Amino acid sequence: MSTLTLYMQYIVNGLTLGAIYSLIALGYTMVYGILKFINFAHGDILMVGAFIGLLVYTALTGDAAPGAWTLSAFFIAMLVSMIACAILGMLIERIAYKPLRNANRLAPLLSAIGVSFILSNGAAWIFGTQSRRFPYPFENDPIHIGSITITPHQIVVIVVSVAMMLLLTFFVNRTRMGKAMRATSLDQSTSQLMGINVNRVISLTFAIGSALAAVGGILAAFDFRVYPSMGTMTGLKAFVAAVIGGIGNIQGAMIGGVLLGILEAVGAPLLHIPNGMKDTVAFAVLIIVLLVKPDGILGKNEREKV
Amino acid sequence: MRKAVAFLLIAFICIAGVAAGGSGEGGSGDTYKIGFIGPLTGDNANYGIRCSNAAKLAISEINAAGGIGGKQLELIAEDSEGTVDKALASYEKLAYMDEVCAIIGPVFTSPALAVAQRCQEDGIVMISPSATHKDVTAQPATNADGLNYVFRTVPSDALQSEVAGHYFYEVLGYRNLASLYAMNDYSQGLALGMKETFEALGGKVVAEETCMVGDKDFRTQLTQIKAANPEAIYIPNYTVEDAQILEQAAQLGVAVQFLSSDGFSDPEIYNLAPDFTDGVVYVGPAQAEASSILTDFQAAYGEAYNGDAPDSFATNSYDATYIIAGAIERAGSADTKAIRDEVAATKDFQGANGIMNFAANGDLVASQGVYEVDGITPVYVGSFQVVDGHIVQVD
Repeated sequence: MSTLTLYMQYIVNGLTLGAIYSLIALGYTMVYGILKFINFAHGDILMVGAFIGLLVYTALTGDAAPGAWTLSAFFIAMLVSMIACAILGMLIERIAYKPLRNANRLAPLLSAIGVSFILSNGAAWIFGTQSRRFPYPFENDPIHIGSITITPHQIVVIVVSVAMMLLLTFFVNRTRMGKAMRATSLDQSTSQLMGINVNRVISLTFAIGSALAAVGGILAAFDFRVYPSMGTMTGLKAFVAAVIGGIGNIQGAMIGGVLLGILEAVGAPLLHIPNGMKDTVAFAVLIIVLLVKPDGILGKNEREKV
Repeated sequence: MRKAVAFLLIAFICIAGVAAGGSGEGGSGDTYKIGFIGPLTGDNANYGIRCSNAAKLAISEINAAGGIGGKQLELIAEDSEGTVDKALASYEKLAYMDEVCAIIGPVFTSPALAVAQRCQEDGIVMISPSATHKDVTAQPATNADGLNYVFRTVPSDALQSEVAGHYFYEVLGYRNLASLYAMNDYSQGLALGMKETFEALGGKVVAEETCMVGDKDFRTQLTQIKAANPEAIYIPNYTVEDAQILEQAAQLGVAVQFLSSDGFSDPEIYNLAPDFTDGVVYVGPAQAEASSILTDFQAAYGEAYNGDAPDSFATNSYDATYIIAGAIERAGSADTKAIRDEVAATKDFQGANGIMNFAANGDLVASQGVYEVDGITPVYVGSFQVVDGHIVQVD
């Protein structure tokens, strides 16, 4: 295997991982854009999304062999999970964050950490702590292109992620509600004076971010499996991806996620250091990026942010 | 931030533990208290829960038969989450607040190394059912009497990796191996030990890749291993990582033999990667000769825990509990030194794992078993020992 194909293989793998990070990073960045607040419970919402997706999927398919029905059941499960997580996200905002909106900036942060613990410990209590497999809803035999290998599930991860990001971009840039979101992120009180229902915009932001996290959770489940603490590390990495892309900036979150995924896959072999250190490499590069551009890759350059 | 919160909580618990400590002995009430330390929550809780269940089962059997000298046994299980800091907090609660007679655990190697030092220092018997790193029983006896307080009912890695290296080279005939292991004491100890033996025999480890416990993506490592073109890949890790390694290797078209360690004996692997376990060869605990103790234990365990099957570590934990109970009975008190003397004096103990004896350093005297997985069923190949530099099948 030549070095070139070796690296192309790393990049294919990194892209899959990066697409998932991007989806989750969007939730952090959208909430930050509007409320200047890091929703630390976001990672755990992706875990809830993965569990709901798994439960709905297994309830629908049972032991059915992969085929057209399992594939549609997979997307039905994803839709149900998105709706459930959207509602959960809005509820969390209403109960745990909204009453603290005018409090000290640390208060909602601590509240978010509390919610995060409640979700992950609650899931451990209900579902137990063991990892569960998410069965592949399609035949997952690897496809060989030259000496590069890609599996159908990796293709699904990338295609679904890109579709979700395109949908979000369209929504934010081309709809009235998207416009209201952009306005709110620029200036909350002026937006309110202009007749925008800021509370509704905030609720919607949480709903969209959480629905995307649900998709991210289900896509991650193939490789990561489903367990109560699955959101912790994944959520942290997605948060870093959001920061690196320029927190508050939607395109930034997408770029940051993909960058982080590829760095993780390529970093260690490129520097000839043990792969156990791959997170160290990825995070070291991110520190360097931040030193050079403290606002992240796309931070501040963009006028519009959500 | 989460860590800080968790740390404060632990600090608080420790202070509470010290405040509540003081005088008294582990058996001063109506019960003899035995501690258990293992991961009861978290990714690898499957190991800890099965071990604590087995200990609980043993204790309820002993209590149902009248206890020891009229006193009941009590198991106090503490959750280490598989981490060193939580395990030390658990130890401090058990040793200073509950004042237990002896401790079963910790389940994982890193916490076991840390707790072993404290047990040696404070003079409390520790029997780990599963911590296999060779250094667990090599901690200096820092107590006043200079006596060894650390034992285990699982064979040391030194033995396991030695048998593994010989088996792969001499029996399977491999000359080029790759290894993919987590950077923790358990996996690293096995991988490096196997490499030492294998290369001393004349083989070569052509690719050595590492990961972290909790990693989910092993494709970079597997791609590198594929490029090195080994005859087989040694993956001495815990089930969660091994399951993903096997699955992702299949997806990347890495079609070579996989070899593993006793971590593979946890049946959880067949829930996590049922389509990818066929043909894996692993070195693990030697199978006990079919005894009524083992089958009775397995039946009782299944009945007590909803049909769940005990893994080999749970069997070790069951034996450890009976060894401690026997020692308390012979010692006739909760005096930790008297209990230690009796544990050390254990001779030809008839356990679920067969006849068990401890070496002077607290290690189990044992041979190793080799298994080959057929679909999702491990098939026992035989028991092996290394005698005079060559592998010998014992039965």
